[in-house]
Amino acid sequence: METSIETRDLTRRFGDFVAVDRLTLRVERGEVFGFLGANGAGKTTAIRMLCGLLQPSSGSGKVAGCDIQTETDRIRSRIGYMPQKFALYPDFSVEMNLQLYGGLYGLQGDVLRTRMETVGKLLSLEPLLSRRTDSIPWGWQQRLNLACAILHQPEIVFLDEPTASVDPVSRRQFWDIIAELAASGTTIFVTSHYMDEVEYCGRVAILVQGGLAALDSPAGLKKTYGHTSLGDVFLDVVERAQTRGTAA
Amino acid sequence: MNASLRRIAVAARKEFLHIIRDPQSLFIVIMLPVVMMFLYGYALNADIHNAELVIEQPVPSPAARVLESRLDGSPFFAVTQILPPSSDPTQVFRARHTRALLRLPPDLDAGLRRPGAASMQVVVDGSDPNVGAQMRAAVEGATQKILLDHLNMKPPKILDQRTVVLYNPQQRSALFFVPGLMAIILLMISALLTSIAITKEKETGTLSQLLITPLRPREIIAGKLLPYVALASLDGILILTVGYLVFGVRVAGSVTFLALCSLAYIFTALSIGLLISTLAKRQLHAMMMTQLATMLPTVMLSGFIFPVSSMPMVLRGISHIVPATYYLQIVRGIILKGVGLHELWIPLLVLCAQGILLFMISVFKFRVKL
Repeated sequence: METSIETRDLTRRFGDFVAVDRLTLRVERGEVFGFLGANGAGKTTAIRMLCGLLQPSSGSGKVAGCDIQTETDRIRSRIGYMPQKFALYPDFSVEMNLQLYGGLYGLQGDVLRTRMETVGKLLSLEPLLSRRTDSIPWGWQQRLNLACAILHQPEIVFLDEPTASVDPVSRRQFWDIIAELAASGTTIFVTSHYMDEVEYCGRVAILVQGGLAALDSPAGLKKTYGHTSLGDVFLDVVERAQTRGTAA
Repeated sequence: MNASLRRIAVAARKEFLHIIRDPQSLFIVIMLPVVMMFLYGYALNADIHNAELVIEQPVPSPAARVLESRLDGSPFFAVTQILPPSSDPTQVFRARHTRALLRLPPDLDAGLRRPGAASMQVVVDGSDPNVGAQMRAAVEGATQKILLDHLNMKPPKILDQRTVVLYNPQQRSALFFVPGLMAIILLMISALLTSIAITKEKETGTLSQLLITPLRPREIIAGKLLPYVALASLDGILILTVGYLVFGVRVAGSVTFLALCSLAYIFTALSIGLLISTLAKRQLHAMMMTQLATMLPTVMLSGFIFPVSSMPMVLRGISHIVPATYYLQIVRGIILKGVGLHELWIPLLVLCAQGILLFMISVFKFRVKL
């Protein structure tokens, strides 16, 4: 299998505080990889390093075949990032936002048009193209966010708590689309602290105080820790890691 | 490089669309200079024109009649009242009938026949010092002129002093406020609007989203600033056009040189806006900081309203770091005196140096903050 993301002892310190502690990961191409952790566990810092926005203090990593310390420009053109908070332009129409992001990734002319059609169809955004972005419902704004992140056919898509405060039906549809993207070979890297989101992932990493505390498939995790729900697994993992931390 | 230019074009187009799609703000940006020009041109006009004048006349006489009709007939005054001598001349001021009172002596005609014997008094309302001083000069000047021209008086020869006013012989205030408005409006468009536009993107999180794309920080800055250069230039052209068509202000010097100097000023102002956007967290902060750090010193300390030379030491020091001080010297030089680079290279050099320094600091801070 082809490797999409690979890190070795990736560490980031802010003064005395260790935000990410010797993180070692390998994510395969086309995998849906869940990145779990409480608030402040280091998820955002890790993602910022993987996206080339933040330099690691030590350790190394490769994303889409590019070094995260030296090839940040190339990484940025090969990944897509969908933020938790809606970050498109509310005064633009849906179509204008798509055109803008396509343009920023260097798409133009027929290529841009074809991609907008394909993505519009995949996410059922076609009837909304001419609407002002702030006039469409939240669930659809999230879809547009995703559309802008995958327009340039990135090798990896980072999703930061993608379905927070989205209704269950929309959430289900959203994950169907994610599955479709992964099936076509796009690697999906999802951060979350919502357990039901994580059930859709192929493998899940649980981050506690910047370090990797557990890594397995949802079924494997449940089996190892002897729980029926991932929520209980998560609490168990966090508790054990913290007791270990205080003991040491 | 080609890809970089294309990304800048995409970012600039985006910024331009934001401006176009907000017609209310666009309307303000275009109408504000026009409205301000008409305000300064008409309402805030300090020129004396048809000012009310009251004459106190104890005895009607031929000389008094000539004085009255000539004063009333001049464009400066309208004689609204002829009063008998009163014990309290301040009454007309308290009732706000006039700003100036001309008191004639009972023996005006007799006094005029003997050199140096005539005396009259001008009483001026000094509650607004500027208007008071102007009224005083206007009444004195006009009365002297009437005495010389129409009552055949001869001036006492002490010294034959003649004053020639250059560049603005009629002392029209339009020639004075058009350069000042250039300094204020260009600063407002460049510094205020850019600092708000960038802070807005920080506030909504769209700026960090742009950074995940291949767009580099310098490309974001270029894309942000370019549309505002265009907008500020448009306002500059608007001010000069209205100044010429409505107020008859001609650019005596080179328009091309004026445009180049204005671009240098716009560049400096944009850098200030950029710097403020790296410091401010919210649009409101950005707005207040820009007001305090740029608009206020520009209006008060640049020499637009108050001459720099008559400021106390500390304020004069501050005025030397306000970019508008130098821009104003340049614009007045070009528009009124028609001078060029040979006479203006020092203020232009200072302005450019300020712009480059501010730009480097703000770009550095912008990158670090991201």
